[in-house]
Amino acid sequence: MKSLIRRNYEKQPIADYPDYKSSSLRAPKNKKIYIPSSISEISGPKFDKNIIGKLDNDLTLNYSHNNKIPIGQKIIVHGKIVDQYYKPIEGALIEIWQANASGKYLHPNDQSNVPIDPNFCGSGRYITSSDGSYEFRTIQPGAYPYPNRGIEWRPMHIHFSIFGKSFGQRLITQMYFQGDPLINLCPMINSIPNEKAKKSLISSLDLSLSETDKLLAYKFNIILRGYNQTFFENRKEGL
Amino acid sequence: MKNYDNFFDETPFQTAGPFLHIGCSPNSIGINNIFKNDLGVLPFEKESHSNFISISGSVFDGNSEALNDVMIETWQCNEKGEYIDGQGFARFSPNAETKKFTLRTIKPGIVKDLDGKFQSPHILMSISSRGINMNLNTRIYFEDDDLSNDTTLSIINQKDKINTLIAKKIDKFNYIFDVYLQGNKETVFLDI
Repeated sequence: MKSLIRRNYEKQPIADYPDYKSSSLRAPKNKKIYIPSSISEISGPKFDKNIIGKLDNDLTLNYSHNNKIPIGQKIIVHGKIVDQYYKPIEGALIEIWQANASGKYLHPNDQSNVPIDPNFCGSGRYITSSDGSYEFRTIQPGAYPYPNRGIEWRPMHIHFSIFGKSFGQRLITQMYFQGDPLINLCPMINSIPNEKAKKSLISSLDLSLSETDKLLAYKFNIILRGYNQTFFENRKEGL
Repeated sequence: MKNYDNFFDETPFQTAGPFLHIGCSPNSIGINNIFKNDLGVLPFEKESHSNFISISGSVFDGNSEALNDVMIETWQCNEKGEYIDGQGFARFSPNAETKKFTLRTIKPGIVKDLDGKFQSPHILMSISSRGINMNLNTRIYFEDDDLSNDTTLSIINQKDKINTLIAKKIDKFNYIFDVYLQGNKETVFLDI
């Protein structure tokens, strides 16, 4: 029977992480109870490509007014959505959100005294093609201060939400930028107890796709859970 | 049969943060000009189903405060127990003032599983927000169903814990389902 590979919590953030203050009242105290995959977790919502508009993955244009472009450094963020065997996932829905170049979110809950950009909303979405690849054009997000243990600074980041084929593959994470000195100070990243796992959230500068005279590219591959594979009468199942 | 474990690690989760609506439901915070629709507004087209129900509740933190900055996502089958493309997914947040959420959907049917066993009617629920480093998964069952042979509930196997997954019936069409992140009524969260 098809089942999802069991999660490895040593490579996932600790739920109740005292350095990240907000987690103290929201992290459940009891251990999660493991249940084997049923059809409810194996199935999942499927999103049709026709919901995606032409500019949904171009944040430099999708909120532009009167042909004005947002302020800041234009970048490409691209990569592949694959499963734990590095098999590309076609039809995965990726939704991203981020701050503008000044470090401000276009959101009523962002009360910081930093300017919004009238031509940038920071929302993007995309559905992967057959090779699992995606691409966004956007503006380099700014770092910003937030209240935690006193005031701390979030490293530059982009939020990612991904739906694969199964509801049990659902992933919400954040992508960081190579070389940002704030990364090692961030309690949200440090809630991940494994160094290699932390590093997997840092995108790398990708000069191969950068357009020398226009923009820089960053590469960020994302691994969703795979299915257990078993050999049965020499035939691979669960692929 | 041989098991294979030569696989890569799943990408780690990070909190969805306080501004998740920008990416997941921009129209709900007044960003109206970029995406045609927010996803998961209607899990089923209302016209085609007769047994619509409402499930209302709140999500409480460790101080028993109802939260309004969480995003809830649900996934379910139709009334015949079938998972259908393009149906069954909902995404919503509690009301900013009342801090109550309402899911209007159809009552799911009994699910026949891949191994031929049956699961009692249920809805998968995932909760994301600031302070939640990895979204929390749980299930909603219904008080008026036979829950005695359900596989998942038999694994949990403790009555007070099982009760945290059961929506209480108010009348024919209305149920209450509150989620407690901590405390003596802490909801059972599942490693799915």
